[in-house]
Amino acid sequence: MSVDQGVAVVDRSRCVGSGMCIVYAPGTFAHDDEAKAVVLDPAGDDLETVEIAVEACPTSALRLVGDQEEQ
Amino acid sequence: MTTLQALNRDRLKELFDLRSSYNSLMGGDFQTDPYPLWARLRAEAPVHDGTVHKLSGYPGEAFFQGLPFPDQPHFSAFTFAACDAALRDEVTFASSPAVVDGTGEIPGFETSMLSMNGAMHRRYRALVQPSFVPAKAGWWITKWIEETVQLLVDGLVDQGRAELNVDFCAAIPILTITHSFGIPIEQALEVRASLGTPAKIAAMLAPIVAARREDPQDDLISVLVQAELRDEDGVNQRLSDLEIYSFAILLLLAGSGTTWKQMGIVLTALLERPELLAAVRSDRSLLRPAIEEALRWTPTDPMFSRHVTRDTEFFGKHLPAGSVLHLCLGAANRDPARWDRPDEFDPRRPVKRSLGFGGGFHICLGMHVARAEMLVGIGALLDRLPNLRLDPDGPQPRYIGMYERGATEIPVVFG
Ligand code: HEM
Ligand code: SF4
Repeated sequence: MSVDQGVAVVDRSRCVGSGMCIVYAPGTFAHDDEAKAVVLDPAGDDLETVEIAVEACPTSALRLVGDQEEQ
Repeated sequence: MTTLQALNRDRLKELFDLRSSYNSLMGGDFQTDPYPLWARLRAEAPVHDGTVHKLSGYPGEAFFQGLPFPDQPHFSAFTFAACDAALRDEVTFASSPAVVDGTGEIPGFETSMLSMNGAMHRRYRALVQPSFVPAKAGWWITKWIEETVQLLVDGLVDQGRAELNVDFCAAIPILTITHSFGIPIEQALEVRASLGTPAKIAAMLAPIVAARREDPQDDLISVLVQAELRDEDGVNQRLSDLEIYSFAILLLLAGSGTTWKQMGIVLTALLERPELLAAVRSDRSLLRPAIEEALRWTPTDPMFSRHVTRDTEFFGKHLPAGSVLHLCLGAANRDPARWDRPDEFDPRRPVKRSLGFGGGFHICLGMHVARAEMLVGIGALLDRLPNLRLDPDGPQPRYIGMYERGATEIPVVFG
């Protein structure tokens, strides 16, 4: 994946487990046992789909980072 | 089939007619289409003085979450940006005027997590969230939804005509929730009728809670009796009976009327557009987008409110601490700044989150259950009632209601 591609990162302390991200990008996100979102497959959806999911997170628990700078 | 005969049609009709006395407090008798007026208000300014119902020309008083607080100043937000910003800022915009910690004397939604803020809300919500994630939809469908839906369709399939709003849409969610609690079907309507009297509901739940404490089953009350709440000191505690009643009452209040009316809105929107209905019938993958679009286009709960905790400048208005901010989610969902042709019902538009299920930390807990009920319910009608269409000789459905919007009635013929 290239630098400008962007990877979603979950802030666990803000995630309430709403599942909105899973509705919009089911190839990327899933829940762990505590119903916190995890990125299951960073390449599971195209970037536009992941962006829609990130914007859809009701608690601002998701953001996109360029995968090489911040990871 | 025996189980469903316990449901009394007339009682059902009384409880689920939006205009009946049970529902008029929420403005169920409101007949005007508020959207043109909301469009004007939204274009004038993001935030206005006053309550949504007064600004919408509703005569008299209406009650809902955040009403009435007669001594507080009220403001109402109409744009997507303003509603979204308030929902995301729980420090300035709290869900209750006072701190709620779950230890009140009386069970009810006022003491439930709907009214909590911050870390307290997160602890309570985390107890139930695992039962309400998308991956649990299958559990809800096979255990509590599918059979009820098929039995309800069995009851109509040979009649050639039906009224779907009460006899179908209204029945599914109340039966799903009460079923998932272990409440027998004969009591389901009694539960619905007692929503205003929490003590009665608590009395119906008491024997079930006691039984599940002894012998947990694969149901929701068992989840609640086994849940452990971790306090600030890291000590785990079981929920008290009172906390369980409040949780259960919140789920009943939030989960039965909402899904009924939203399902009626989806169905009506499709039946009014026969070409679209035919498209959904032949390509079932369109049903989910149609449900999402209905949640945007006409959310059944078009307003929730927040309490302003500190003086703040908000989208051009000064909001003093202590005031109440109404968030007109209905208007936000048709904001032309976010959607092209916002007044059109178009399930094929590009996907994007709306505020139909709210937003922020209190976003609807039951959204995946509600979606499952609507998908299974409407899916079964399309599967089993050939040539389903509005009854040309019956009254045509209209959308009514102020704070709880829904269809008047949905008379259909088929076959
Ligand atoms: C289509 C049907 C539904 C709609 C449109 C809907 C809408 C909403 C909205 C807008 C909120 C946010 C309230 C606020 O921010 O103050 C909410 C919260 C909630 N809903 Fe739903 N709801 C629906 C179905 C359900 C169902 C089926 C359940 C339960 C089985 C449910 C349980 C809840 C609960 C527990 C909350 C409070 C969450 C919290 O405070 O964290 N809802 N709902
Ligand atoms: S949308 Fe946000 S709050 Fe909801 S599960 Fe995903 S990360 Fe968590």
